[in-house]
Amino acid sequence: MVVLEGVSKSYPTAQGKVEALHEVTLSMEKGEFVVLCGPSGSGKTTLLMTVAAMLHPTTGSVTVGQRNLYQMSSRARAKFRAERIGFIFQMFHLVPYLNVVENVVLGAQAAGRSGGSVQARQLLERLGLDGRAHHRPSQLSAGEKQRTAIARALFNRPKIILADEPTGNLDGDNATSVLGHLSDFHRNGGTVVLATHGERAEQYADRVVYMSEGEVRS
Amino acid sequence: MTVLNLVVKELWHRKVNFLLAVLAVVTAVAMFIAFFTAGKASERETARLMLDMGYNLRIIAKDTDINQFLLTGLANETMPEEYLEKLASAKGISYNHLLATLQKRITWRGVDVVLTGLAPEVCPPGRAKPPMIYSIKPGELYVGYGVAQALGLKEGDAVDIEGKAFTVAKCLAESGGVDDVRLQCNLREAQEILGLPGQINEINAVDCLCFVEGGDPVSILRKQIGLILPEAQVYQAKAMATTRAKQRQMVRNLFAVIMPSVVIACGLWIGILAIMNVRDRQQEIGIMRALGYGSSRVAVLFLGKAVVIGLFGAILGFLIGTGLAFRFGPDIFKITAQTIIKPELALFVRSVVFAPVFAAISSFIPAMIAVTYDPAVTLREE
Repeated sequence: MVVLEGVSKSYPTAQGKVEALHEVTLSMEKGEFVVLCGPSGSGKTTLLMTVAAMLHPTTGSVTVGQRNLYQMSSRARAKFRAERIGFIFQMFHLVPYLNVVENVVLGAQAAGRSGGSVQARQLLERLGLDGRAHHRPSQLSAGEKQRTAIARALFNRPKIILADEPTGNLDGDNATSVLGHLSDFHRNGGTVVLATHGERAEQYADRVVYMSEGEVRS
Repeated sequence: MTVLNLVVKELWHRKVNFLLAVLAVVTAVAMFIAFFTAGKASERETARLMLDMGYNLRIIAKDTDINQFLLTGLANETMPEEYLEKLASAKGISYNHLLATLQKRITWRGVDVVLTGLAPEVCPPGRAKPPMIYSIKPGELYVGYGVAQALGLKEGDAVDIEGKAFTVAKCLAESGGVDDVRLQCNLREAQEILGLPGQINEINAVDCLCFVEGGDPVSILRKQIGLILPEAQVYQAKAMATTRAKQRQMVRNLFAVIMPSVVIACGLWIGILAIMNVRDRQQEIGIMRALGYGSSRVAVLFLGKAVVIGLFGAILGFLIGTGLAFRFGPDIFKITAQTIIKPELALFVRSVVFAPVFAAISSFIPAMIAVTYDPAVTLREE
């Protein structure tokens, strides 16, 4: 279970303080598929980063499975991310000099696992990438890149997947495919928190949370 | 996927960055090797050239009339021959190439000459060097250019001095100095001719002191020799000694200025490339942090890369530096190059150890910049 209590996040800028999140209180059940909707700049990504133990809130607390993330050391938070969280980004963020399999197993070392290329290939087969295992990201289509990112996110068997505009750079078919894979993960008991400003993902969601100007509206 | 795997794959992916960084290390190492080798060669070459100029230290008996010694170049008093052994066997001394002589002005066949008896040159134990001067066998006479010309002597002529028979073994080339009027023979025979058995009147030597901080080399030598031979006094051919010291110092200064400049320039070069590399890899660093890579692992990625670059650079730099020394050394150091310019394993080991450390130090700040990148910020940038 993910619980945010009174979470605010502000950044100092040349123009003054900008508050990206304001007193957000939100809880997500284990195994829930939550879609965060809202326009650009509404605080969706900041909220995802906060849940991912990567962005220390200015005030408030974030608890995942009874563990208060920001009372943990940074080393413990890194370990927590490696073992519990999977990420998917709009821009894919694949490592350009690694091939598909290597990108998928990249997180394994951080999670204390070695090898894993056999499991990675099985995962790639499930995602329709078995013929692309030794291709570099530059040789893949946008849809293939995002499916590689999904494979990387799933590889360490995370409890939660955080997806930030995962279909933002994809055409309709690829977007449907990506959402389908996230839905599969959810059906198998995983928690999904997906940030988007579109509406396509809402049909897969257990709950849609609307955000605006750093606040949860519903 | 090990760190080394990641480092090697990244190096291969960004070949230009890798090659430029290796070039920086190669430049630093090659220049170090070339300068070090050249510096050593230059020092030896200088030493050899200075030796060719002759002895620069004169040790004479304490009672010698200094005015007369300076006017004529000859010491009027003698001292026991054993002084040579005393000096040669003393420890912690700063001179070498000890040559005992007995010299006296005589008139021979109506010509004023300096009869000079030479003992074989000796070196202190453990500091043996090739002698600077020839050794004269009993019965042999080396005749100065002026005397040979004046008396029409040639090699192989049989002559006698005060009833002692000699063969002219060598007629020396013109020197433009007192050597032109010398008759040189074995010390023992000169002692017999002059009726001074077991006596010498000068010990020549070469001092090994360069510039001494806060002290005068002559004072140091006088102090050292005074402890061993209180009955002697020391004179130094200052111009010769100073030239020698200046030459050595100049080479050291050159090395001391050029090498740090090269090392700093190459260090900055590597550092700038590493910063560019870190900037290129911001999102990669971000995703690694998101996947659970801690700060230390990210730092190791960059420092590990620097170590690999340092290793490559050290090996190539050593080969190039040694090659440069081989190629150009013999043209510069004509006397000593053939014997002293050779690959030095110790330098290779030093290069392989220090170049990766140097590259890692140069990349330290960029690595720390990489560690402090906030993944939440970099992953949001498109």
